[in-house]
Amino acid sequence: MGILAVPGIDDKFFNLTLFLQNLTNALANGAVYALMALTVVMIYKTTGHLNFAQGEMAMFSTFIVYVLVIEQGFNVWAAIVLVVLGSMVVGAGIERILIQPLERRSVLAPVILTLGLFFILNGGAATIWGTQPHSPIPAPFPGKLDDKVDIITNRVPHFFVTYKAIGVWITLVVLVLLLNLLLKRTKLGLAYRAVAANAESSLIVGIPVKRMLMLGWALAAGIGAIAGAVIAQYRNVLDFNFMAAVLLFGFAAACVGGFDSILGAVVGGLLVGVVETFTPALFTFVGSELSLVMVLLVILIVLYFRPQGLFGSKRVERV
Amino acid sequence: MTTMLKVSNLEAGYGPIQVLRGVDLYVDEAEVVVLLGANGAGKTTTIRAICQMIDTKGSVDMCGVELVGMRPEKMAGKGMAHVPQGRGTFPELTVEENLQVGAYVRKDRAAIREDIDHSYTLFPRLGERRGQLAGSLSGGEQQMLAVARAMMCRPRLLLLDEPSLGLAPLVIQSLFDRFSALNKDEGVTLFIVEQNANVALDIADRAYVIEAGRIVLTGGADELRENDAVRRAYLGF
Repeated sequence: MGILAVPGIDDKFFNLTLFLQNLTNALANGAVYALMALTVVMIYKTTGHLNFAQGEMAMFSTFIVYVLVIEQGFNVWAAIVLVVLGSMVVGAGIERILIQPLERRSVLAPVILTLGLFFILNGGAATIWGTQPHSPIPAPFPGKLDDKVDIITNRVPHFFVTYKAIGVWITLVVLVLLLNLLLKRTKLGLAYRAVAANAESSLIVGIPVKRMLMLGWALAAGIGAIAGAVIAQYRNVLDFNFMAAVLLFGFAAACVGGFDSILGAVVGGLLVGVVETFTPALFTFVGSELSLVMVLLVILIVLYFRPQGLFGSKRVERV
Repeated sequence: MTTMLKVSNLEAGYGPIQVLRGVDLYVDEAEVVVLLGANGAGKTTTIRAICQMIDTKGSVDMCGVELVGMRPEKMAGKGMAHVPQGRGTFPELTVEENLQVGAYVRKDRAAIREDIDHSYTLFPRLGERRGQLAGSLSGGEQQMLAVARAMMCRPRLLLLDEPSLGLAPLVIQSLFDRFSALNKDEGVTLFIVEQNANVALDIADRAYVIEAGRIVLTGGADELRENDAVRRAYLGF
């Protein structure tokens, strides 16, 4: 039995339950993009770099979760916590050992380095775990066929929400709340935001700026590790390439929302998810392969009117 | 009188370009010392070298501690505060958060709270705007915030880099009145880099003149005010 019984208002142009089902998928996909956009934002805020290896770092972390859970028999959440902590250490280490020495050379060098990381992690995972999709996939949330909330069942198609989708939303909400708590309520968070606002003045007041850059990478790697595990279950795929497309949409989301805004990452992610899902549904001449083009169109429109993104802050170059 | 800061044979620059060619100067405790110079003479570089924000050679001695070779983020803990040229504030933080960040090296939370409230009595405009983002303040208010923020680490030595830059004459006057009060009432030693020699010499005890990376003239503030070269170059006579 569904929760709601809805009288028939459908006609050949509009099917309510189909619409609601599409919307749910759109918002769940959108939350997935928002998670990756968050990781992009955490690094961009302090360092001003885009990390192209973000998705592959998350992919690698997810494979470690896979090894711990499926091969070693760990509890899935225990494994995620371990991998998140490990990923944070590795993320901070990458910043310290690989990025920092390049920082003085040029703006482009660290970005090129993250491209290199992308290929190393991507190829490394393919070498270690092969190129075939892996299953079973570790399941942070209940993911069997009937693990869903039926909402409308007296219409065709049925409208339901899977626990996996709810899990993605919960993950996003909890992470955003925790990040807000960290950034707005702690001295560490204040120092992180100070470095994002003015790195030179941060040095003057005694903030170890380089450690804050490492913190940005640590947070991004940690969020990516959770996101990877949740995304693998939600999309039901775990292979060496599974994060590449997700990160592309995550970049799109961060671009729309503003590269330095947490709120922007969330709104941008959801917006990208809605555009991606609904343009093929609304305009039949747009096949699903073209939905990325529609997303790019939205980016173009948003950036035309707000070059800093919907919630990004305008940066004035300081001399 | 004890020496607060003693700079000897200071050399610094940017990459292959050497700006400072052996600067010597000292600042005594509770003094107000001004460094005058034209554009490109090395005023800002002197301050940045003292703060270890650029690679330096020579010696910067603060109360017996050698600073050359230390990391720049260690300066605040040594009792040295610095208001950089232009906007030394954190535009995306509120006024109150700017002051909290200023106290980053301190652990005494209750006293930090008191000092923030004290800043609001010193600079009432900041108190009115405590919840506002610093980036939305006017130029003069931002400069006041930068000074109040610098005072939050309870410095013994405050370095000010062209605090009058881009401000209206009335605002400049009131800002320098505050500097004078900080020196007299709170006992803070001031080292001020300025192009606006008139207003700076008004509150200074002594002054240095820097040209092409070297100190070319030094003396009491009144003495320099009467010096013909200084009058022509910096006082507009």
